[in-house]
Amino acid sequence: MTFHAQKRPVAAAGAVTIEDLAPEARFSLRGDPADAGILGRTLGVDLPTAIGTRNEKDGRTALCLGPDEWVVLAGEAERDAILDAFAAIEADTPHALCDIGDREVSVRIVGPDAAALLAMGCPRDLSHLAPGRAVRTVFDGVSIVLWREAEEVYRLDAWRSSAPYVRELLETGVVELRAGL
Amino acid sequence: MTTLRVPNGGRVRHDEPVAFTFDGKSYTGLRGDTLASALLANGVHLMGRSFKYHRPRGPVTAGSEEPNALVGTSRGKGRSEPNTRATMQELRHGLVAESQNRSPSLKFDFGAVNDRLHPVFSAGFYYKTFMWPKSFWDRVYEPVIRAAAGLGTAPKEEDPDTYANRYAHVDVLVVGAGPTGIAAALTAAKAGAGVVLVDENAEIGGALLSDPSVAIEGEPAWTWLAGRIGELAALGVTVMTRTTAIGYYHQNMVALAERLTDHLDEIPQGAPRERMWQVRAGQVVLAQGALEKPLVFNGNDRPGIMLAGAAQTYLNRYGVRIGERAAIVTSHDSAWYTAFNLADSGTAIAAIVDTRSHPNAELLGEARRRQIRVLVGHTVVATSGRLRVKSITVAPMTNGRVGKSQTIACDCVAACGGWTPSLHLFSHTKGTLRWDEASAAFFPDRKSEACEIAGAGRGLWGYAPVLADGVAAGTAAASSFGQEARAVAPGVKGDRPGTGANHAVLATSVKPGRVRAFVDFQNDVTAKDIRLAVSEGMKSIEHVKRYTTNGMATDQGKLSNINGLMIAAETLGKAPPEVGLTTFRPPYTPTTFATFAGYHRGTHFEVTRKTPIDGWADEQSAVFEPVGQWRRARYYPKAGEDMDAAVERECRATRQSVGIFDATTLGKIEVAGPDAAEFMNRVYTNPWTKLGVGKARYGVLLGEDGFIRDDGVVGRVSETLFHVTTTTGGAARVLTMMEDYRQTEWPDLKVWLTSTTEQWAVVALNGPNARKVLEPLTEGLDLSNEAFPMMSLADCRVAGFRARLFRLSFTGELGYEVNVPARHGLALWKALMEAGEPYDICPYGTETMHVLRAEKGFIIVGQDTDGTVTPDDAGLGWAVGKKKTDFVGMRSLKRPDLAATGRKQLVGLQPEDGSLLLEEGAQIVADPDKPVPMRMLGHVTSSYRSAALGRSIAMALVADGRQMMGKTVYIPMPDGTHKATITSANAYDPDGERAKM
Repeated sequence: MTFHAQKRPVAAAGAVTIEDLAPEARFSLRGDPADAGILGRTLGVDLPTAIGTRNEKDGRTALCLGPDEWVVLAGEAERDAILDAFAAIEADTPHALCDIGDREVSVRIVGPDAAALLAMGCPRDLSHLAPGRAVRTVFDGVSIVLWREAEEVYRLDAWRSSAPYVRELLETGVVELRAGL
Repeated sequence: MTTLRVPNGGRVRHDEPVAFTFDGKSYTGLRGDTLASALLANGVHLMGRSFKYHRPRGPVTAGSEEPNALVGTSRGKGRSEPNTRATMQELRHGLVAESQNRSPSLKFDFGAVNDRLHPVFSAGFYYKTFMWPKSFWDRVYEPVIRAAAGLGTAPKEEDPDTYANRYAHVDVLVVGAGPTGIAAALTAAKAGAGVVLVDENAEIGGALLSDPSVAIEGEPAWTWLAGRIGELAALGVTVMTRTTAIGYYHQNMVALAERLTDHLDEIPQGAPRERMWQVRAGQVVLAQGALEKPLVFNGNDRPGIMLAGAAQTYLNRYGVRIGERAAIVTSHDSAWYTAFNLADSGTAIAAIVDTRSHPNAELLGEARRRQIRVLVGHTVVATSGRLRVKSITVAPMTNGRVGKSQTIACDCVAACGGWTPSLHLFSHTKGTLRWDEASAAFFPDRKSEACEIAGAGRGLWGYAPVLADGVAAGTAAASSFGQEARAVAPGVKGDRPGTGANHAVLATSVKPGRVRAFVDFQNDVTAKDIRLAVSEGMKSIEHVKRYTTNGMATDQGKLSNINGLMIAAETLGKAPPEVGLTTFRPPYTPTTFATFAGYHRGTHFEVTRKTPIDGWADEQSAVFEPVGQWRRARYYPKAGEDMDAAVERECRATRQSVGIFDATTLGKIEVAGPDAAEFMNRVYTNPWTKLGVGKARYGVLLGEDGFIRDDGVVGRVSETLFHVTTTTGGAARVLTMMEDYRQTEWPDLKVWLTSTTEQWAVVALNGPNARKVLEPLTEGLDLSNEAFPMMSLADCRVAGFRARLFRLSFTGELGYEVNVPARHGLALWKALMEAGEPYDICPYGTETMHVLRAEKGFIIVGQDTDGTVTPDDAGLGWAVGKKKTDFVGMRSLKRPDLAATGRKQLVGLQPEDGSLLLEEGAQIVADPDKPVPMRMLGHVTSSYRSAALGRSIAMALVADGRQMMGKTVYIPMPDGTHKATITSANAYDPDGERAKM
């Protein structure tokens, strides 16, 4: 148990906005942790090895979700280039690069009340999620990946079919926060 | 305002009247009142009728433990609540309250006839009376008991309010904001901890709200309190009022129910009515205080008789005198202060009746100074008054004998039998209790969670000790984080220390048959009932509780458990801990269902996964069915069609030309890596090594027990990549199982698994014209039968989209499944619909899919299998690799029992009457004329009307079924016993030519 001062639940009535994010190239990259170096060079981003951390370079992002699992994000136009680059090393460096660009959809939640909004469905202690980090967690029973992009900016990735359900609670929550109780 | 309201008394706003109604009559109270205090200010004590005897009752308490003053409240359509505690419901403008359990009126109630019959309704009455005649139970007893059961009227309309949920994490959670809790919160916060302080009341202060005369740190109690509220805010402590800690769960998870709008005149737009907080706390401080214990005496339940502490709260907190002439009956010092406060506020004190022979001399002096009559060493023999107490009759006790009695006129009685530490939440943690003989109470003993119990909740009494204990608890909580708290216990002047004696029941000279001494007010359990239970053999308090219903009301025995235990123990001649204490369970106080449900109602009841084509199906008025979390189109009825007609049309169209089906929900897993084939070999029964790239195979997945868990078509995309499909409902389970084996059994394999269920939208085309529809839209692939035969797959483009195309058939017709990135699913569907127009392409749903596959004898896992079916049982022995050295479940298949004859095998059933639809689940017997019970051969698993075959079809699991081809069996159903012939389940195009066209 860590000791963090002044941490408490707040039901404030501040602003929070929900924004749908445009599709992007998105992959699940799996491989031997020992091969993280070559896999990272192939991607052009050093693969982070601590779970929950991310690295970003030239518009490509790698997030470590597990000891042998990364989420890769890039511009839509780079999809084929990334697939080709990894296909070229497959024989020597076994791995799995799976296109999940259509599996998930994302929203960005911004504002002083973003954490309160997420606390309606996410049982995690978000104060432990430092800006710049991301975690696999649940929101209202649905599996999500939650990125804290900045102090008051979160990004939530949910599987396509459950996204409307997640979105519904987020919108209910915005109304609730506006009521100020 | 009546004379019972003390001018400028209490904490209520005398400048803000609030109008409300009770049983249709208009009253006025003040802002800050509860419904109970406002009614008492208006001279109304009678607020309800008891549950069993319909006895007139008034409030006994001023808090959440109230057993009597339960009323119905409402604020417009759908917003009604039964059993609102009048002692907790804050007054709001226009509050409508109605008494319960009375007819036609609260003052005159027909149900009160039960009270006259009370000798009949003794403990165990139901168990004894309704045993015979046996046939009466269903027709007479149960309906009558049900009609009489329950208190209040459940709302019939949908609740228009919303209910919220919130998770929170905090260093220190303090439950109870009396002096102890405030001291603990301040101490922990000063040490730097993040603190949440919760209290079920509208404002914090606890007992201090009822004891303004005490001075703390040189300040009057309420001045001190105001200062602390400011200090808490300055320290950043979150103070949550109207918030009840209802449950204490593992690892310091505490559930809080917060009431947000019930006290408000107007509900803000969009505001939830209540919110459930799920708080994970580093440390919990339980400062729940103590609950006052009623004295059990003859006639102790008349309206106007309440706990002395409650009388003091009504007086000091709400500025309401509970009557003009009060009798005080007590075995504890605390009630003396109530007497003094009442006397000082203008209520005549008829007498202080103390059961003890030698009460505290200082108290006696204070009483003498006020010229209050004191009767020591006395017992209460009886009371009088129907709708309001009129008198109490008391008598001296000498050497255990009741002396000459005297009757004292009064219009209210304040009674006190001592105080019981409130250990409900501590009990939730399975913390152990120890019996304290001196105070006749259980105290906390061994803890199982990271918590501190402080103040009156662990048996301390007086403000100085509990404040010091709060500081100590706050210090301990902070120190568990390695923080040092530097706080000194506040000094107290004018403290109200106290001790008391304990009694199971006050002695009386009234004939035993006429004594009505209530232990549990809400469930109408008397001392006599408990003695009877003991005499009839109940020796554990758990049995006594169930036999008498003592402590089983919604107040969970907050007032009655200890008294019930004392009486049972006394009757048994045992020490109370030997008789036991019933376990408290969450929630601490009654909590609305909606608060537990939170956001999960209506459209948000549960995750409903929808495919990209779902909206189109909805526009076509498709009828949906849930499959796992998915909702799938079951059939697409045209105007005037019922399901049978729609399904028949869809089946016909698919078999004759082409049908289109949304197969997006099928589970999909990419198995990738150089060891992918080896992994598949170990997981599925089938051999995979020799499956060529671009080829697909039907795979069967078993559990370790050898029984079928899942199935699906698996395609080999490359040497190192398999595209696995699973059943819709099994997708997550299969992936989890595969991951489990991959990580724990075969970490050496270079293989990785990724769910692609949602990456792809899948549209299936089936029927002789499927190729004609697909061909013009397909680029980069020759669809001819030679180039792309049955069980092939290839990446290509369809309708301009990147696609992975499978040729397979779950219908027996020429079939394809087109996978495209999910965002293009709807566009693909529409393109195929357009291309299929010349062929009258027909969208079909899951029901038609089920019929078409059943005509072919293809199984559906979970329908034709039930977790006890092996591949051989299902006729899928061919799918088990004979030369394989291992796969999940292989060893089990070799167990004698799974290889024995007599196992149920999947076969077809042809009813003799082709128009008859067998019931799925119906049992099958060889000869219905045998005596019952007869041997069941098996049961029907699937049954449909087949348009293609012109008769009904069925599949069944039948013992040794494959040896019984052509034999007749019988299926008893509610409408009679039906004859059927055992056949192959593959009834339509048995050679499978149509799929290979």
